[in-house]
Parts: sequence; structure tokens; C-alpha cells
Amino acid sequence: MKTKCIHKDLIFYLDNELSVEKRTNVEKHLEECADCRDYLVFLQKGIQIIEKEKNPEVSPFFYTRLSARLEEKPVYQTQSQWVRLAQPAFFSLVLLAGIYGGLKLGSNASSPKVHQQATNSIPMLNDFEAEPIESFLLDKL
Amino acid sequence: MDEAQLIKGIQQGDRKSFQTLVETYQRMVVNTCLGIVHNKADAEDLAQDVFLEIFRTAENFRGDSKVSTWLYRIATNRSLNMIRNNKRKRFFQSIEEAFTGGRNHGSEISENRNDQPDQNITDQQRSDLLHRAIDRLPEKQRIAFTLNKYEELPYQQIAEIMEISLASVESLIHRAKKNLQEQLLDCYKKKCV
Repeated sequence: MKTKCIHKDLIFYLDNELSVEKRTNVEKHLEECADCRDYLVFLQKGIQIIEKEKNPEVSPFFYTRLSARLEEKPVYQTQSQWVRLAQPAFFSLVLLAGIYGGLKLGSNASSPKVHQQATNSIPMLNDFEAEPIESFLLDKL
Repeated sequence: MDEAQLIKGIQQGDRKSFQTLVETYQRMVVNTCLGIVHNKADAEDLAQDVFLEIFRTAENFRGDSKVSTWLYRIATNRSLNMIRNNKRKRFFQSIEEAFTGGRNHGSEISENRNDQPDQNITDQQRSDLLHRAIDRLPEKQRIAFTLNKYEELPYQQIAEIMEISLASVESLIHRAKKNLQEQLLDCYKKKCV
């Protein structure tokens, strides 16, 4: 009978973090299961990447470059910090002003007085009611 | 010269003490940054920023923890900030490219890789796969895993650096490995390398 694959245990098996009993079971399973053996190799090669790439040689000019940067006055950084603080503050103010302006306009538009004014102004704008097209054309003649 | 003397010297603006500190810890800082950003040039730039911060804020160091702990904290924070900024930049770039129909950078990378021998391609793919899997880990899991795997730090020291309990570190690293295992298994099943 084929036993269930134990993929999830293999990363801990590689790091030697399993109990003795579990480790023995994993080893027994690996002898029988080709898929788990393949996955173990795949996992091993993946984790080995860390071993290959860690502790790189640091550039021999590391301190020279750092020393040159130390000579630079930290004005830029101070300035950028100011900009970093001022920018959101400015945009927040603009946003708040926009919201306030919108609310103000909205409250004016919804007040009955303004509504009345708007209704009254409609006939004035309606040219046809003020001066019918017939009389306009007759005047032209 | 011991750590306390070094820091005292740096606090007084002594360049010789600073140089000694840099030479002692540069490999450690670059390696820590590399584990998070996966690019040597970026890791060196970040390490330089870390040492500049040390020099400019040395007077704030009270000596409650070891210098290395202080350096690890700054290195991990700066590396995570860089990743966040890059993500933000990529997001805006993708919007810009959507409007301007710009070239996809991913295609440039795969074009360059066509010149490499097969073995290197497989190694590179494997490396990319692992980096992507690490990058997908939640930040705390990523820091704990990186400090443990790249710097081979014991859990107790990781707990001091991250200012969390030993049990939390154990749990973070366990979950990080579980997550990595799931992502790598997914790729193994799809035969992506």
C-alpha cells in the first residue's frame, strides 16, 4: 500500500528539526517514495542557494565611498525631511479646504432661500416665455 | 578597542573609531541587507546608509544593547523600507506604462538570460524562485528567517533584535519555513524550474 506523501515535513527534516521518531519515519518513507525523494532534492537545491549567496565579498572601496558621503553635509536629508513633512501637510490642507468648500456650497444650494431664488430666475432665462418667437420674427420684419 | 570605546569615539566625531566600526561590521551589515533585498549593489548602498545613520545618531546610543543588535535593527528597517519604496515605485511605473505603453522590464531580464549557459539559467531560476518565496513572507517572518539563515543567529539574539519573546521567534521561523515549503512545493508540482 502506498503511504501518503510527507512533503510538509521535509523542510524541517533538512534543518534537523524533527524528533528522533519522526525523523526515522521520514527516512523510512523516503526509501519507498520516489516523489518525496525528488522533492527533497528540489528543496535541498533551493535552500543551498542561500549558502551560495550569503557572505558576499564587500567592495574594497566601501569605506572610501562611505567617507566621501560623510563629507557631504546632511543638508539634503534635512531638506527632504522638511519636504516629507510639508508635502502631506499641504495636501491635507488642500483636501480639507476642498471638503469645507464643498460643504459650504452644498449647504447654500440646499437652503430654501437659494432654492427660491433659483426658481424665480428660471422664467427670466426662458426667452421663449419672455418674448415668443413669433413676435421676435415680426419685429425683425 | 572595545565596543564602548568605539562608540564613545564616534560620539566625539573620531573618524578612526568610525572606520574601525565599519571595517568590523561591514560584512555583517551587507549580508543582512542582502538577505532581504537580494541584490549586492543595493545591499552595499543600504549598508552605507546604515553606517551613516550610526555616525550621525551615535549620541543617541545608550549602550543598553550590543552594537551589533543596533546595527541589525537599522539594517533590517532600512532594507524593508527600500522594498516598500520599490513596490510603490513599481506600482506607479505600471500605471505609467499602462498609459504610455512602455516596455515590460521582465521581458528584458528573460532576454538577457538567454545568453547564459543552461546550468546558470537553472541556478538563476532557482535563485529567483527562492527570492520570490522569501519576498512573499510577511515582514516579521522574513526578518526572523533572514537573520537565522543568512546570519546564522541564534533565536535568542533574533528575539533581542526584533524585541519580541523567544517563543515568538520560534513561531515566526516555523511559520516562515512552512510558508516557504508550500510555495516551493507549488512550484515543484508545476515543474517551474
